[in-house]
Amino acid sequence: MTSKSFDRRSVLKMGAAAASLPLFNINHAWSQEVLFDGQAFDAGGAVLRLGEWGGTWGETVQKYLIAAFEKEFNCKVQYDSSWPWFPKFVAGGPEKPPLDICNWNVPEMVKTSKAGDYFLSLDEIIPNIPNGKNLWPFATANGVGVVWAYNQYGYAYRNDLVNPPPAAFKDLWKPEYAGKRGTYITSNGLQMDFFVTACELFGKDQYDLEAGYQAMRELMPAKISDFTGNMQTLMERGEVVVAVALDSDPLQARDRGAPIGFWYWTEKQPIISQVHTISRYSEPMQKKLALAFLDRVLTPEFLSDMGREFYLRPTIQNAVLPDNLVKAGVVNTADSTKDYWTPDWNAYIDNEDDIVETVNEIFGG
Amino acid sequence: MHEESNVPSVFKAIAFLSLAILLVPMAVVVLAGLNSGDYLTFPPQGLSLRWIKAFLTSPTFLSAYGVSFVVALGATLVSTLFGTMAAVFLSRSSSGSVPVLRGFFMLPIVLPGVVLGLALYVFFVSSGVGLARTMPGLLIGHILVTCPFVIATVTASLVGFDRSLEEAARSLGAGPVTAFRLVTLKIIAPAISAGSIFAFIVSFGQFELTLFLTAPDLQTLPSAMYTSMRYKFEPTAAAAGIFAIALVVISMVVTSRLVNLKKIFER
Amino acid sequence: MAPAPRKAMSEPGLWWLCLPAAAVFVVFFVIPVASLFGLSFNKSVAGVISYSNELTFDNFVRIFTRATYYEAILRSIWIAAVVSVTSLAFGYPLAYLIAKTTHPGRNTLLMILVLSSMQLDMVIRLFGLMVLFGDNGLINGFLLYLGLISRPLPLMYNTFGVIVGLVQITLPFMVLSLIGIIKAIHPSLEEAARSLGASRLQAFFSIVLPLSMPGILAGALLVFALSISSYVVPALMGGWKVIVLPIHIYQQIAEVGRWQFGAAIAVVLFVTSVIAVAIYHQAAARTSGGRT
Repeated sequence: MTSKSFDRRSVLKMGAAAASLPLFNINHAWSQEVLFDGQAFDAGGAVLRLGEWGGTWGETVQKYLIAAFEKEFNCKVQYDSSWPWFPKFVAGGPEKPPLDICNWNVPEMVKTSKAGDYFLSLDEIIPNIPNGKNLWPFATANGVGVVWAYNQYGYAYRNDLVNPPPAAFKDLWKPEYAGKRGTYITSNGLQMDFFVTACELFGKDQYDLEAGYQAMRELMPAKISDFTGNMQTLMERGEVVVAVALDSDPLQARDRGAPIGFWYWTEKQPIISQVHTISRYSEPMQKKLALAFLDRVLTPEFLSDMGREFYLRPTIQNAVLPDNLVKAGVVNTADSTKDYWTPDWNAYIDNEDDIVETVNEIFGG
Repeated sequence: MHEESNVPSVFKAIAFLSLAILLVPMAVVVLAGLNSGDYLTFPPQGLSLRWIKAFLTSPTFLSAYGVSFVVALGATLVSTLFGTMAAVFLSRSSSGSVPVLRGFFMLPIVLPGVVLGLALYVFFVSSGVGLARTMPGLLIGHILVTCPFVIATVTASLVGFDRSLEEAARSLGAGPVTAFRLVTLKIIAPAISAGSIFAFIVSFGQFELTLFLTAPDLQTLPSAMYTSMRYKFEPTAAAAGIFAIALVVISMVVTSRLVNLKKIFER
Repeated sequence: MAPAPRKAMSEPGLWWLCLPAAAVFVVFFVIPVASLFGLSFNKSVAGVISYSNELTFDNFVRIFTRATYYEAILRSIWIAAVVSVTSLAFGYPLAYLIAKTTHPGRNTLLMILVLSSMQLDMVIRLFGLMVLFGDNGLINGFLLYLGLISRPLPLMYNTFGVIVGLVQITLPFMVLSLIGIIKAIHPSLEEAARSLGASRLQAFFSIVLPLSMPGILAGALLVFALSISSYVVPALMGGWKVIVLPIHIYQQIAEVGRWQFGAAIAVVLFVTSVIAVAIYHQAAARTSGGRT
């Protein structure tokens, strides 16, 4: 006879299976081919589980996209902002995705896709979203998900406290910024791009980790921040005068009248991407809704709204840039986007434990 | 003569310093929440209720506040009941296992919340019990980290409890349950209230544990603050802090009308 | 013959009272946490949660051979111990003042002040602490203004900052653990000592302090446990210069996704804490005659 606990367990499992039975039409429902042609359809009140950022970001996506989307497709979008996503996907395995469509930054997404067959491939997505034809080539260069918006890397600086302003990637290492320069912890995407770029520019190539470590050692003393909100406060209080940054926040601060300047890295031009994936093992209806949602994300109207609110830049050729971005000198042309650099995140993730350990040691002194 | 005058002045000086350590950062946040400027800054650029209004109209923060309140209330009720029962056993049993059990019940707060959160999440997912990212699942996590506070507080008060009172009641003809209800419960009630106040506050402020257990419509206030402030230190978060403080102040004032507050932390 | 009836009254039938809490703890704490800890004997691979039968001690070897980890163990214990002592030093006088404040209104006010300070979320609390303790913060500004220092003191983003943050958070727990026991000490004992010619402080150190030992031990234990397991405070107040075990655990679990290794660090932290608590209980049993 089997043990008591085994019995209990199998009973529980049977109960769970019975409860979920009506959801499955046939075995492997997820293997059905899912198509979306751009036309609205009636989802019959189905629930789409969306993973996205929290706070005002969430409220803005809700306002400009989700409200209309729910009406158009007769569905309910369940907005989930309980990042990080990687552990939640991996804990359940590919066949039990916690979300149907998810927004990521590239490294975490690559890490998840390396851990298993979690996402639809770009070949399965792009033909099924009519607006996908407008994407710039860099939007699919990561090979896993669809980049719908991005920001570019550079240095933010206090233009009342820094003179001359930074004009080269290596300017952050100037002795006068000791203790007043800022970067982020290893789990923050800004530090990942900063580190890889330092490897590339101080060493032979982006795989030259030793050069990157040496650069981080020479960067000390520096202020290390957990997240961007904290760094903004440090700059606002003048405790950091120059920091690794995305263009969005400094441009916004400048328009608000704060004494903040921004310089784009020119030697290499990495970007931070907002990138969507669709879970392979979600139900067919959810997958169809996810495709529809991604298609509606890639519209000039929504991207223009997000650009106005967050200084996010669009990845589609037919985008209409909002006034604030135009005023900041942002352009959206084939020429302006051709030099964007997507580092080899596969290699980074393979070495992540070593990078995290070593950089922790350097930052921890 | 007030007994306070018996407090040595060195003590008074340190006590006021301690109060300053506790309260000055809080005052900064409260003022920042009443800022009239566009972003979180100190000193505030003039006072206004603008961010209080922003909090009251923010679907994210307001619903998170509600979720935190419900979870904290639920966890407090269960922890207070289970914790008090366990404490009665722990203080009355002469079994050799009691010290071990008392240590055992403290374990959830020794472990970083993220470990317990992940362990529970993986357990919920792999056992297929359907508790992953649900209200009951979140509640279970909160019960685990609040129960130790109730057990510790109530056990401490029962250890010093004079059993002869209960025995007297029984000798007057009361049954064991009646004697317990009329005598013991009345005397340890302040400790139970203290334990439940602990439990409520610990649950309301719990962030790390919640990391893996929140769900879309179940975001708690600390987790909403964290996900929102990753991007921007918003004055709305400071306003949310004001409301969190207000919750405790109001409930304390109300309790002090109902029961004599100073009894709560007496043994 | 007090002990005999007491023993008879120990009511062996009461064990069921413990059942609900014990059941919840066994099902939702022991089983999940033990399962997770079991992973620590597997090879560390990102994003894998299932067990393999190949057991290894590699994760533990790594912790005890790489400085960033074993130094974090000592740092965690050291910080938690310093915070416990500091919290006690600041908390005891405040608890004493509250215990001796008989005026109901003033007493309520003090209690509200202590409790409401517990209610402020750490992330937003960080902002308040930055304004006070930062390089350009109010404290440094004040000291510079007075001319006591010529350049800002590093009050944050170092071990000092972490200790400040932890004391700030744990102080109320210490105070609340002490108030009850101080109140229970009969004032006549103190008065007796004073009538024999002891000063107020002498009376305190010879009478009140020894009698409040159980509360001191309970409060210090609580503060130690809260400090050694805290991630948010060292992460936010330490500026990543103070890497303690929970930071390593958090990174491995929530970010790198190497749960086997994260679990191994958690096992080390857990065992460390349990040993500390056990030593503590021993000491407590000796000082308070078995009653803690």
